[in-house]
Amino acid sequence: MITSILSREITPEPDTYPVPQSGSEYVALPNSKEDGVVTASAAQTIQGKPAELYELWSDVTLFPRWQEGVVSVSRTGPTTSHWIMGDPEDQDGKRVEFDSEITEDISGEKISWRSTGGDVHQSGTVTFVPTLANRGTLVTLTQAVKVPLGSLGNALAGIAKRSPKQIVIEDLRHFKQIVEAGEIPSVRGQSHGPRGVSGGVKEWMYGETNPTPPGTSEQE
Amino acid sequence: MKAVCWMGKESIEVHDVADPQIINPRDAIIKVTRTAICGSDLHLYGGLIPTMESGDILGHEFMGIVEEVGRGVKNLKRGDRVVIPFTIACGNCLFCKGDLWSLCDNTNPNAHIAETMYGYSGSALFGYSHIYGGYAGGQAQYVRVPFADVGPLKIENDLPDDKVLFLSDIFPTGYQGAVNANIKPGDTVSVWGCGPVGLFAIASAYMLGAGKVIAIDRFPERLALARKVGAITIDYSKDDVSIIEALRDLSGGVGPDSCIDCVGIEAHSHSAAGLYDKVKQTLKLETDRPFVLRQAIQAIRKGGTLSIPGVYGGVLDKVNFGAAFGKGIHMAMGQTHMHKLLKPLLAHVEAGDIDPSFLISHIVGIDQAPDMYAKWQKKEDGVTKIVIDPWQSTINPTTDGRIFPTTTRTLVP
Repeated sequence: MITSILSREITPEPDTYPVPQSGSEYVALPNSKEDGVVTASAAQTIQGKPAELYELWSDVTLFPRWQEGVVSVSRTGPTTSHWIMGDPEDQDGKRVEFDSEITEDISGEKISWRSTGGDVHQSGTVTFVPTLANRGTLVTLTQAVKVPLGSLGNALAGIAKRSPKQIVIEDLRHFKQIVEAGEIPSVRGQSHGPRGVSGGVKEWMYGETNPTPPGTSEQE
Repeated sequence: MKAVCWMGKESIEVHDVADPQIINPRDAIIKVTRTAICGSDLHLYGGLIPTMESGDILGHEFMGIVEEVGRGVKNLKRGDRVVIPFTIACGNCLFCKGDLWSLCDNTNPNAHIAETMYGYSGSALFGYSHIYGGYAGGQAQYVRVPFADVGPLKIENDLPDDKVLFLSDIFPTGYQGAVNANIKPGDTVSVWGCGPVGLFAIASAYMLGAGKVIAIDRFPERLALARKVGAITIDYSKDDVSIIEALRDLSGGVGPDSCIDCVGIEAHSHSAAGLYDKVKQTLKLETDRPFVLRQAIQAIRKGGTLSIPGVYGGVLDKVNFGAAFGKGIHMAMGQTHMHKLLKPLLAHVEAGDIDPSFLISHIVGIDQAPDMYAKWQKKEDGVTKIVIDPWQSTINPTTDGRIFPTTTRTLVP
């Protein structure tokens, strides 16, 4: 899957099309951990037409609304963008930045990207395939991230609070939620009684203090 | 505001907490006028549902007046009177569109926890542990209701709260239990548990054409209510009673066409098998005490339907799956698809077919709620259903909340 770590090219091989099927045969989606590169995949059925979902995903400036840990994304060219990651609500928190470019773009079907410089080396592909019987669109997401050693790696882990596999699952779940529900379900900041010690420790696990992406909420 | 908080196993306290706020566009804030303790809240009280945390606000049966709506809610306005379904649904995922509302994909912020335990997550619930979303419940003066544009049922008549409150859970849950039992006209139906859900299941079974409903419990006040609803009752605590034999005899040697388990996770039995489950559950060797499930699988006729509205949480021990297979039975279960049942069941209440308030035994103020959890768990003082007015501290103090004897109540006005 990973062509060359040394050259920092961690894009999935060009002929790898992340759908779990080749002809009539099941093919496992890419999920691996090799040489510091974590590759993970997730699939969801989302109510909407492939073209609509493709269009929403293509607008990189909207990513902070539905993806965890994205502070801002700005376009730098027709196929390039600059990303700032961190906890959007922690003004003094750690930030990591990188540039990204789209490497393949098939309208309504597929988008692939990879980082071209900065703190993070990552790549990904998302595909949109219509399902049978009008059940929506099968969306499959594969992301590969090279996790750096040392303090930057720790900073990344601190931002995410999730395993790389779970990040991919949650990214796609949040995309589905904003498409289908128009918002991202959240219990952040809700009322509760005294949490005590163990309840306080677990609050982030239960999403009460996690930076849920704002979705269409104005509370950011 | 005041709220009833879960503070640990068998520890309930009323605390002053912050008023809820709109978090998402489809939220509404409801001023709660009536709320109730559900039999399934006793599973939380007993510490049997994982991922409860100290400070969680309880309660999933409630109604009230709309106080405030988010900008995504166009169908409700301040001042509307509403009953809230206990399941939270988005209205637009594959499952909501398929009328499987309690299996909604999009409302549980903690779906990853449920996915670890169950493979996939169902809808979120109010006040029912973090695995089910961790939303604050309605045993409080105010509550935040997410996805309020698809859930709340507007009440546009002058029926008192107590007659429509149980549309929030137990009436639809008993009704779905009967629908899932695949009842044909004249069928014999056996119902385990004559608590609120069991009583509504009995009434609903008759509404769906059952010829004979046999109800099983051990508490006299519950058995009396079951007879009032029209059931033939079996007191399983009597020494000479065998449930399997009783059901065989009452069904002419065939077995009940349908069995409905309205008990679930905390089944009780005097027998050695019941004690075995109690010990194992206490030692956390199993999560559930599936005594009723075992008995129903044994008692049901060949090719019959077993419906399970009673709540199960985890891994069951020694369930005779061979018997289920050998007799070719059907099983149906799960949380109630509230959103599709609210309107048709409200119509039954409005038409006077059923008066759900018949099972209320206690009406209390919010400060009495902790005592009522303990009282209901111990089945003391003839408790059949507890209703709370969150705006009063204490109601009916001389009778500890009890309103009147069960014998004066009727199902059909």
